[in-house]
Parts: sequence; structure tokens; C-alpha cells
Amino acid sequence: MTTGPAAQHPALRIVRRKNVLAGLMFIGVAALGLWVSRTYPVGTAIRMGTGYMPRLLCWILMGLGAIVLVQGLRDADAPRSPASIPARLWPIVVVTASLIAFGLTLERLGLVIAILLLIGIGSLAARGLKPWEAAAAAAGLILLSWAIFIAGLGLVIPVWPDW
Amino acid sequence: MELINNLSTGFGIALTPANLGFALAGCLIGTLIGVLPGIGPIATIAMLLPLTFHLEPVSGLIMLAGIFYGAQYGGSTTAILVNLPGETSSVVTCIDGHQMARQGRAGSALAIAALGSFFAGTVSTAVIAMFAPPLAKVGQSFGAPEYFSLLVLGLVAAVVLAHGSVIKAIAMIILGLLFGLVGTDGQTAGERFTFGITQLADGIDFAVLAIGIFGLGEIIANLAQPEHSRSILMEKIARLWPTREDFRRAWPASLRGTALGSLLGVLPGGGATLSSFAAYVLEKKVARDPSRFGRGAVEGVAGPESANNAGAQTSFIPMLTLGIPGNAVMALMIGAMMIHGIQPGPQVMTERPTLFWGMVASMWIGNLMLLVINLPLIGMWVQLLKVPYRFLYLSILLFCAIGVYTIGNSPFAVLLAAFFGVLGYIFMRLECEPAPMILGFVLGPLMEDNLRRAMRISGGDPMIFVQRPISLGLLVAAAILLVIVALPAIRSKREEAFQES
Repeated sequence: MTTGPAAQHPALRIVRRKNVLAGLMFIGVAALGLWVSRTYPVGTAIRMGTGYMPRLLCWILMGLGAIVLVQGLRDADAPRSPASIPARLWPIVVVTASLIAFGLTLERLGLVIAILLLIGIGSLAARGLKPWEAAAAAAGLILLSWAIFIAGLGLVIPVWPDW
Repeated sequence: MELINNLSTGFGIALTPANLGFALAGCLIGTLIGVLPGIGPIATIAMLLPLTFHLEPVSGLIMLAGIFYGAQYGGSTTAILVNLPGETSSVVTCIDGHQMARQGRAGSALAIAALGSFFAGTVSTAVIAMFAPPLAKVGQSFGAPEYFSLLVLGLVAAVVLAHGSVIKAIAMIILGLLFGLVGTDGQTAGERFTFGITQLADGIDFAVLAIGIFGLGEIIANLAQPEHSRSILMEKIARLWPTREDFRRAWPASLRGTALGSLLGVLPGGGATLSSFAAYVLEKKVARDPSRFGRGAVEGVAGPESANNAGAQTSFIPMLTLGIPGNAVMALMIGAMMIHGIQPGPQVMTERPTLFWGMVASMWIGNLMLLVINLPLIGMWVQLLKVPYRFLYLSILLFCAIGVYTIGNSPFAVLLAAFFGVLGYIFMRLECEPAPMILGFVLGPLMEDNLRRAMRISGGDPMIFVQRPISLGLLVAAAILLVIVALPAIRSKREEAFQES
């Protein structure tokens, strides 16, 4: 595990500990859940309402998150999440963007264009992928997906844009 | 003989040309992903869940099971030949298996691994056939309170045997339970956590969650890591057949590994990985000269390889008989059954005997297939290691995307899967195991249902869980497990067991 630059603010260094982050994540999710479920009827143990289980689970999660957070704060040698955030953010952005593009275009513009978009955006995160390799991969994958999903399984997916 | 009758029914199903084909396809895909590092059986089974939707239930399950044990075989091939464990369950095989390969005994190591796995597969299939029916009978006598306590015990045991922090694992289970609540409440028709999104009213589809967390999360994690340079030093395989001396040392180790793996596989949280680690430790303990280990001891290959296959097989027992998944792969199998409208539980065996026995029979056939197809094809599998990740990555990404879409012809599912992919990556970075979350997600609705029914039986008195003897026993067992794991001595031992490599 890499350690951050020495000049980093001490508070930031504590937050970068994995358990501190994990604890905060659990507490955050629990708080969100409690807030969203604030209007759900809770009911009684015999006749549990819509909100009984959600609220119970959120409270438990918050308690567990607090324990993890305290563990993280107390353990100074705990593993830290690595420093170079931007390099690690890039694959997240690329993968998410390619899936969103695929999901939004598949039904309107058809399988071929959706795959081209997914491969086009996706290849931005593939190290050392040459343009001709991306084109070859796109062509091969279009054929393969057509063969498996449309010819083989007979799924109803538009192949070309519906003019 | 009821057993013979049942098995012949099973072989009747498993030996139809179509099902043989699916078993073969599963074994080949499983071996393929077992060989390739960077994509595991969980991600692959998740990706193929939507495909099985279009198959007969029994064919789909046969194929998924084939992938699971095929991956154990494939994973050990690369562990021995190139010192790269394709799967976590073959990590320990690297230690002595690769040493054997360096000494020019690669063929012997591969053959011992394959024969040991086949032997273990045969024994554990017999174990399933013998012990599953009585266990299902016990399960059928359970009422709502007993079932709820059994689910609690299953989840607790899964936490205890998982690696990493226990508290985090429990938090992940709760998170999984919360994700399971999303959608319309079946009892009160109230919407929960839908954020006003109509597509969420039916809840989160299991396959979308699994593909996102395991498939897409793994992709992002692999891309964020610098690519490992895979130097492939392909040793020439001089002779495949092991020497008499190797056989003499290997068969007792294989027996011990099979017994240990069969036992550990049944435990919740157990399965292939735990079994192989435990078997290696055991072999080292019983060896007359432990110093041979790490320098190409054949027992260090035979024991763990038999154990991981036995464990992989017997982990089907609690899943098939009680509807309780012991590990993430079994949770996916339960998800596959639910896609077909089969409610997993003890009734599966009586209501769908062809499904149950067909699967059991196909396990043995699959193991035989792996033995026959694997040894001659080893050279070809190793060549596959040369496929660069940049191609793999694009193909996996696309198949995840199309697979998710085809579950319900819903573009929204693709976006939801992308969200879970990011979440899966965050979990990995924060060392939060996603497997307990999947268990919680699958078991959540079942738990809530049984809790509500138990409460209605007792008139809202939670004491019902401790007044019924079986339920009390199960809860006490769960409590004991939790206490044991909290003890410092056990905790350090537990960490040691997972860091043997």
C-alpha cells in the first residue's frame, strides 16, 4: 500500500484509512435509509408495517458503522487507501460512461451503434489498445453478440436504428 | 433401493444430448475462466445468469455447476504451470505444484491434481446423493421460527468463516438485507426505498446486483491496477503419468483432502477455498518430513486439489436441501433457481426430483468430462494466457451490458448495474467483502417472511424463538460461533489460516 505525501493534512490522513472510510460509508447509508424511510408506517411486532424492517436494519447498520469507524480511528497502522485518486477514478468514469451510453442508445439506435459506443468509450481505459485493435474488437464483438443473442437465443433487440 | 432409483432418474436426465452439451459447455467455460486470472467463477456465473433464463431450469443449473467446478480444474493448471493461481482456491497449489513443474515434474503434478480432483468429485457426489435426502426431511419439519433461526445461523457462520473483519462482514450482510428490501413490500403493498423510480417498484433484480458488484466491480478494479506482466515459462511436459513413488505419496493425501473438503464444504461460509487451505495445513502437519513442503511435495498438490473439488461439490448440500447458500456461488445458484420461479428449500427434492437428481448425476459426468478433456488440452489452455487483458476487458464489459439488458429488456437495468459496479469497486478498495452482502440480499426476503409468520404465530412475542427447542438450539449455536470468533486466540488463528500463502 502506498503512503501519501508527507505534507498531507493530518485530518485527511486519518480519513484515508480504510476502516474510517468504510465506517463513514455504513453510517452514511444508514442515515440516508433512516431519512428516506421516515414516513414509512412502522406498525407493531405482530403486524409489521412497511417501515419496521428498514428502520430496524438501518439502526443496526449505523451501530456497526460506528464500531468500524472507532476501530479505524484507534488503529494508526491501519491500511490506507492509496494516494493517486485521479488515476483510479478514470476507470470508474469510463466504465460507467460506456454503460450509460449503451443503456440509453440500445433501444433507439440499435445494437450496432450501442456496441460501437460502448467499445469506443470503453477503450479509453484499455491501456495499450491500438485504434485498429479497437475496431477489430468492435467488429468481432458485434458479430458474436448478434450470433449469440439474436440468432441463437432469438432475443428481440433492434439491430439498426429505427428510422 | 431408493438411492439407485433416484440416481438412475438423475442419469436419465443428465445423459440427454442437450444436457450433456450444457455440462460440456459449462466445463469448458469454467476451465477457460479458471485459467484466466482477472475473472473469477463468481463474476462469470453472474454474467451467464441472464443466459440461463432462456434455458430449461435443469439445463441452466447443470451449466452453472459445470462452470463452478471447471474453474477449480482450470485454476490449478495455471497454478502449476505458470505459478499463477487462476482462482483463490488454487493459491496453495502454487506452492508445491509450481516447484514440481520447475523440477520437470509438471506432467506428474497436473495428472495428480486431475486424478485427485476426479476422485474427490466422485466421492463427494456420492456424499450428496446419500446425505441430501435425510437432511431435506429434517428441513421439511421446520416451521417459521425454526427456519428463521436456521437462516440466522447460516448468516452468522458465513461471517465467521469469511476472511477479513467480522464486524464489516456483518455490516455487509445488513447492507445486503437493505438492498433486498428495495421495492414493493409484499405484505403491506407499501413502497420501500424506490426513490420515486418506477423501475425499482419490483425490487432490484438479483442478476443485476450480482453482475454489477462482481462482474463490473472486478473490471474497474483490474483497470485501476497496473497490468501484471505475465511471463509464461512453458515447461515442456515430458511425461504425464506420475511415477510409482508419486502415486504412493499422493493417494493417502488425496483421501485426507477429500474427507476434509467434503466436511468443510457443507459448512456455511466453507467451500473450495477454505478446504484447500485447510488441506495444505493438514498435509504439512501429518507429513513425516514437513521440510519437503514448498520444494515440490506431491502431497501438497494432491491434498488441496482433492479438497477444493470436494468442498466445491458438497457446498451444494445446504443449498439444495435447505435453500441456504453457504457461499457467494451458491447464492448465485439460488438466484438462478428463483429466476425460473423455483423456491429453493427442502421441497425442491420432492417436488422436482428430476431437477435435483439430474443435477447430482451431471456433477459426476462433469467431473469425468473435465478429466478427459483437460489433460490433453492443457497446452491450449495455457496459450490462452497470452490474450491481453485489454481485449478480455472489452468483451466482458459488453457481455455484462447485454446480459443485464436481456433480463427484463430494460435499459434502466444497465444503468443500475453500472451503479453497482462502482459500489463493488468501492467495497473492494475498502476491504469490505461483497460475498456476505449477496447472501444477505438473497436471504433477506426469506428471513423477513419467516420472521413475520413467526410473529403472527406467537402473537408478537419474540420469545417464540427460544421456546421452541430446535430454534433455540440453532440460535445458541449461532451465539457460540460469534463468541468464539470474538476470542483473541481464535481470531489470530483464523487470520493465520487465511494467510497461509
